Amino acid sequence: MKNKIILMSLSLLITMSALTGCFAGNAKNTANTANTKTNTATATNTVQKSAGGFAEAPMLQELVKAGTIPAVEDRMPVKEDIMIEPTFESIGKYGGDWRNPWNGPDDKWGIEMITEEPLFRFKQDGTGVEPNVAKGFDVNADSTEYVIHLREGMKWSDGQPFTADDVIFYWEHMLIPETFGKALYDCYYSINPETGEKERAEITKVDDYAVKVVFKHPSVQFLERLAIDNKWFFAPAHYYKTILPEFIGEDKALEVAKEYGFNDTKTLGIWTGYYYWLYPQRPTLRPWVAKNDANSDRFVMERNPYFFKTDSEGQQLPYIDRIVLDKMQDPSHKLLGMLAGNIEVGQFDFKDFTVLKENEKKGNYRVLTWKSPAWSSTGVQLNQTTEDPKLRALFQDIRFREALSVAVDRKEVSEIITNGLGEPAQASVSEGLPGYQDGWNKQWVEYDKARAEKLLDEIGLKWDAQHKFRTFADGSDLSILIYQEKGEDDKFIELLRKYYHEAGIRTELKIVDSGTFFDLKYANKVPATIKSVSIVNVALRPDELVPLRVITPWFGHYGLYSSSGGKEGVKPEGDVAQILENWDKIKASTSKEEIAKFSDEIIKLHQKNQWIIGYTAPTPTLTVVKNNVKNVAPDLVSADEFRGIGVAHPEQFYIE
Amino acid sequence: MLSYILRRLLLMIPVVMLISIVVFFIIQLPPGDFISTYAAKMATGGEIMDDAAMQVMREAYGLDQAWYMQYLKWIWGIVTEGNFGYSLAFNRPVSDIIAQYMGLTLIVSLVSMLFTYVFSIPTGIYSAVKQYSFGDYLITAIGFLGMATPNFLMAIILMYISYVYVGDPMLGIFSPEFVDQAWSYAKFIDFLKHMIIPVIVIGTASTCDLIRVMRGQMLEEMEKPYMLTARAKGLSEAKIIMKYPVRAAMNPIVSTLGWSLTSIFTGATITAIVLNLPTQGPVMYNALLSQDMYLAGTWLLFMAVCIVLGTLISDILLVWLDPRIRMQRKGM
Repeated sequence: MKNKIILMSLSLLITMSALTGCFAGNAKNTANTANTKTNTATATNTVQKSAGGFAEAPMLQELVKAGTIPAVEDRMPVKEDIMIEPTFESIGKYGGDWRNPWNGPDDKWGIEMITEEPLFRFKQDGTGVEPNVAKGFDVNADSTEYVIHLREGMKWSDGQPFTADDVIFYWEHMLIPETFGKALYDCYYSINPETGEKERAEITKVDDYAVKVVFKHPSVQFLERLAIDNKWFFAPAHYYKTILPEFIGEDKALEVAKEYGFNDTKTLGIWTGYYYWLYPQRPTLRPWVAKNDANSDRFVMERNPYFFKTDSEGQQLPYIDRIVLDKMQDPSHKLLGMLAGNIEVGQFDFKDFTVLKENEKKGNYRVLTWKSPAWSSTGVQLNQTTEDPKLRALFQDIRFREALSVAVDRKEVSEIITNGLGEPAQASVSEGLPGYQDGWNKQWVEYDKARAEKLLDEIGLKWDAQHKFRTFADGSDLSILIYQEKGEDDKFIELLRKYYHEAGIRTELKIVDSGTFFDLKYANKVPATIKSVSIVNVALRPDELVPLRVITPWFGHYGLYSSSGGKEGVKPEGDVAQILENWDKIKASTSKEEIAKFSDEIIKLHQKNQWIIGYTAPTPTLTVVKNNVKNVAPDLVSADEFRGIGVAHPEQFYIE
Repeated sequence: MLSYILRRLLLMIPVVMLISIVVFFIIQLPPGDFISTYAAKMATGGEIMDDAAMQVMREAYGLDQAWYMQYLKWIWGIVTEGNFGYSLAFNRPVSDIIAQYMGLTLIVSLVSMLFTYVFSIPTGIYSAVKQYSFGDYLITAIGFLGMATPNFLMAIILMYISYVYVGDPMLGIFSPEFVDQAWSYAKFIDFLKHMIIPVIVIGTASTCDLIRVMRGQMLEEMEKPYMLTARAKGLSEAKIIMKYPVRAAMNPIVSTLGWSLTSIFTGATITAIVLNLPTQGPVMYNALLSQDMYLAGTWLLFMAVCIVLGTLISDILLVWLDPRIRMQRKGM
């Protein structure tokens, strides 16, 4: 009897595991790649140069021998057009997997930044852009005509040639008709200095390897703006001609969409056009390309045999064979994976600093602290256009903001929240970034309860009967509702509310999920929130400092006023209106000096008004690297503009 | 009997319909919709979605219509084509996603259920037969501890122990090196290793419960005079216990079997998130959070069907198992 039970349960288990084998169908695709990987591991040390003086990964050598792909020099651009990527420490060697867990396709931007190859990319020191996919550019004296040169003989990851036609195709068939659901980017417009109107650029083909961008009015920052707004100014025409309704008809395109799993052709356009790096069918120029379905439990990106860069010794990049993205249900799993030594390179928030440092030896990794361009690590924003008129008047009163600033003991906040690493400071531009103002970080930073009390008295706020909380001048209740996105800064909020209550300012807290927060922001229902801004250069990415649309809580519906052309929202006045004027001047500028000048004006207005209050200096972003991974620079700036880890040029990382 | 089952089955249709309407209504109740959640998520990745871009997506997904229109379209698709709609987060048909996760969900649930019954029934019997012995007290103590400890906390503790002593927190269902390999002996062993924590964690909660039920029932049965008769006839103690009181004591356990139907198909959600198991639970949890209407709706509809069906199965089982109930019905 007992034996029977054991036998039964065993057989049940086996049938069930067989069952999963059937369900996990998409795992099959990757089985082959796993085999090739073991081959490379054994052959890494025998890198042979080809006739043209180039070397390639062993896994590609196999494919060349088998006749699946052409020889390495035929896969790359002509010799003088190959891009030589400087290595940070040393020339690397081929092979290995970069394990980098993600949370599924919602996390797509993380892997995008790692594998991104833009036309022009930001230099590592952040001083400007340099050609990347483009070979170079010419620009005329008044910045109205740009000629962008491409690399001759460069190929897409499926081996098809990459030419000026792909740029023109992208412009004509994807950008202008908004195939992927985004309005044409601002960088393609120049501003008429007289009327202030936007006028679209003309883009034409010069020859197979050059395109010309002509603006009606000077566009000094075109290349920088391009590197932010539209990093990939090209698309594989040969691929899109087989899937877009424009070329194959609506019915056929719908069939294709269904094959990809989409319900309609519009979604097909958005996902393959915008989030294209997730689709193995879509050729790219990236160092690693998708190999299987991004929705599976393990998403694999494998080296692109046609990648256009080599190291200084002629070895084709990237060094690392694959990026392996296992699906994680919760961000803490990534941390756990790092501690257990199961991740090659990963980025973490500062809040994990202590636990990462404690396990540095055991996990065999190093914690690199990359600078963050945030204005502060703890701070608060008061909505200048909040609905309640009394509260709005109070928030717009500069004395009130000063009172809230000096009512907090920054030393204590620094010790408790940042372990002392974020020094007591005001929200301000960090030293070394454009717009840095000497002494700004010391504005209103002294903890001074008497000063706060005096300021609140001056404003005319009264005390309630128990002398516990302040009221408005007319005796009505004063309370600030703080909205916070779920799960962030809990400790800081508690501390902050304690100080505010001591100063007599009553606060309430509501915690909501990010989707709700987003909607509340649009409806102008967020009076105050705990958030800082993070920005490298206001002239390139104005969103957080200039109210152009509803996005950053401090300017609330001033943003709606701009984006709706004055039809809705709250009309900006005073210094906020001046910010917008300066922004208009930046857009119509004819030289970099002018741009720098007006950007500085915007920053100075922020310094004067301190709409964004900060309590401690920014803390670094943590880039955690296993000790056997080389060529990762230790001191970069981690910013969205510079593409996160991407700024370290992951194609030249290697595993020892 | 047959007409009874048929009647119950017919009654299920309006019940499930009603549940599905309520469910769909509740899913869209929280402020915002899938697109606003999505836009907020993309904003953390640095992508800025303006009103126009959001509008385009809303139209493409049909989210610009009223909820009852969305509901009618969805239910019409199910009834006419068996099409459960389209998951907005995964960008593929809902049925594909459920199929992708169903295999592992079934395995984890069934194995932990098996563990529960195989472990709890004998333990319950032992603890009843040896009432007030050291073993009984030990089992009772562990049982209460197990019932009182939240599953996810237990999972975290076991993961910690595993990390400290084995060096691997045993996340997921396979070790990284096996994930994309075909099934082999080594992979199977690895799979078994990874199943230890989930099975213990998911299993124990109901195990402790069942042990208590089994013990209570057994104690009641063992007082009965037929035991005395059997002993007087000289039957061996083991035979007496196994043949009479155990069978009687199994009744309440078997009758609740039907209710576990839902948990088999959905899996334990929070535990699965903590342990990073690729089962239905976490997928559906995310669908609810991001208001992925059709995926969440299908899942809840599915659960409703399971509950209604489970209750029916329980009722039928009871009639079949317990002659007393059968007799009553006939008498009626």
